[in-house]
Amino acid sequence: MAFLGTVRRGPALALAALLVLAAAAPAGLRAQTPEELEYQVKAAFLYNFTKFVEWPAEAFANERSPIVLCVAGEDRLGRSLEALVRGETVGGRSLVVDRAAGNYRACHLLFVGQSERERFSQVLDGVQGGDVLTVGEAPGFLEAGGLINFVMEKGKVRFAIHQAAAERSRLKISSKLMRLAINAREGAG
Amino acid sequence: MQALRDLPIRQKLVLIVGLATGGALLLASAGLVVSDLVRFRGEMVRDLTSLAEVIARNSTAALSFDDEAAAGETLSSLEASPPIDAAALYDEHGKRFASYVRKGKHAEFPGRPGPDGHLFAQGHLLLFRPVSLGGQRIGMVYLESNLEPMYDRLRVQAFTVFLVFCVSGAFAVLLSTRLQRLISRPILHLAAAAKAVSERRDYSIRAGKTSADELGLLVDAFNDMLGQIEARDLELQRAKEELEGRVAERTSELRQELGERRRAEQELAERNEELRQSNKELDDFAYIASHDLKEPLRGIHNFSVFLLEDYADKLDDEGRSKLETLTRLSRRMEALIDSLLHFSRVGRVDLAIDRVDLNEIVAEVLDSLDINRRELGVEVRIPRPLPAVRCDRARVGEIFYNLILNAMKYNDKAGKWVEIGWRGDRPPVFYVSDNGVGIPEKHLDSIFRIFKRLHGRDKFGGGTGAGLTIVKKIVERHNGKIWVESTPGDGAAFYFTLEKGA
Repeated sequence: MAFLGTVRRGPALALAALLVLAAAAPAGLRAQTPEELEYQVKAAFLYNFTKFVEWPAEAFANERSPIVLCVAGEDRLGRSLEALVRGETVGGRSLVVDRAAGNYRACHLLFVGQSERERFSQVLDGVQGGDVLTVGEAPGFLEAGGLINFVMEKGKVRFAIHQAAAERSRLKISSKLMRLAINAREGAG
Repeated sequence: MQALRDLPIRQKLVLIVGLATGGALLLASAGLVVSDLVRFRGEMVRDLTSLAEVIARNSTAALSFDDEAAAGETLSSLEASPPIDAAALYDEHGKRFASYVRKGKHAEFPGRPGPDGHLFAQGHLLLFRPVSLGGQRIGMVYLESNLEPMYDRLRVQAFTVFLVFCVSGAFAVLLSTRLQRLISRPILHLAAAAKAVSERRDYSIRAGKTSADELGLLVDAFNDMLGQIEARDLELQRAKEELEGRVAERTSELRQELGERRRAEQELAERNEELRQSNKELDDFAYIASHDLKEPLRGIHNFSVFLLEDYADKLDDEGRSKLETLTRLSRRMEALIDSLLHFSRVGRVDLAIDRVDLNEIVAEVLDSLDINRRELGVEVRIPRPLPAVRCDRARVGEIFYNLILNAMKYNDKAGKWVEIGWRGDRPPVFYVSDNGVGIPEKHLDSIFRIFKRLHGRDKFGGGTGAGLTIVKKIVERHNGKIWVESTPGDGAAFYFTLEKGA
């Protein structure tokens, strides 16, 4: 894990490093499958989402409470997410990864893996009414009530945002993030 | 520079004011423009920095989510900012992530982002700003702005300055044209007055004074000077007139004098002529008279002699005595007439001038006087030989004869002597001196008068009294002079020259 040292310096850098690795994976190094790379990018994106989203104050116990990142379903992110958020703070809050949360309502960001595609509504219903940024990676996630959904576009990780749901929630998603959503760019609003 | 120096003072003043104003204006304008440009540059940098800030802020998401398209879109929003020629976003590794080049422009992006800051280079303003997110640097924005706004500004400024320059320059020239009169007018007046004075020589002209400054002082001084010159001129004129008057007066006086003198000279000449004429007439008369008188005189003498010889016995002693007296008187009368004739001849007959050795003449004279010398017992002295001179030999012999004879005769001393000598003056002065009775001073002037005798008829041998008169006449005919010095009782000395004296 030679690049891990650099990862510490920042998520953007980490992302860039990942992209560099993805673009020209050196043959002699430990082989990284496209899938591994994809999940490394997704982990970076998840971390970066926290910077463009504001949670209501009630979502935290106090001013210093950490932002809790949860993963539902089969965890393909590996340890990369933990590596990314370790020691980092966003808006004065540290970040923690919770992979075994019983109740997702206590999460601030919930990544719903592909394995959960059959039970989207069940997971999403569980966090209904909570201030949870739900991120999926399977088609139909937004239709099921998710806020952000990863999409692969020309081999690159992109995302779509359910704008109406986002507006309904108490989360404030930065317009900058909104602009990057593929559905926003395609004129979906 | 000379041309400038020779400009009329009026134009010089306008030019000076114009140049000074223009120079100051130009400097001030240049200063303003430069400071404005400096300020404007600062503003440009600030504006570009703000723009870069906006781009950076708007690019955080695109950088975070590796969205080149979004980043490109953000950059292309710079289309609305005309001076931006090119822009780029670099990721945290310094790799160019997205870029923008304005249509029609060409840009070469730096391979790696520079440090945070700006740089004016190649007619562009280059600026790097970091892109930060949550306190972390996630990339760099690069903006490349052309300097068109500055050039526009410069053009506007230049135009404004030009306009201000023209307007204020015109104003300055207009103003100085009016104000220069303050200085130039008194000077021009002064110059005109000076010119008029020198041209017309009229020192009563005065320059007009218009101000109380240095020019006024100059005018005063000039007028004062003119006043002095005028006074002096008047004085000079007066002196000149006076002098002229005096000269005219003196000239007329002189002319009058000259006329008088000429008249006098003419009169004198006339009188001279008259005198010469009457002299000649007198000479002629004397000659004729004496010549004609001799004839009857000889008759009287002859008949008185006949009477004495033939009728002596018929007369008593008294009668004979009276006849003898008659004879003697007639003889004397004849001698007088002969002397007169001789004198007259000496005056009329031309001289026979030749070179003559005076020693010979004196020797001859002494020969003929040898009897007298022996009778009277006189010693003759000739201290040194006499010179030879040009003269009438016979006449000069007469001079020596008369003088030596006189010297021998009029002496009553025991040891008588006569000295004949000369002084080598120019002309030479001859003399005949003696130790005789001398001549009383009162007679010194009259001894040369004809028939003047100082002594009794028979004393010192008698004589007609014409000798010295004839001597004087001969000397004068030689253009010489004769004079006498004497101490009565001790002797006399006769001096004469035979040519015109100096």
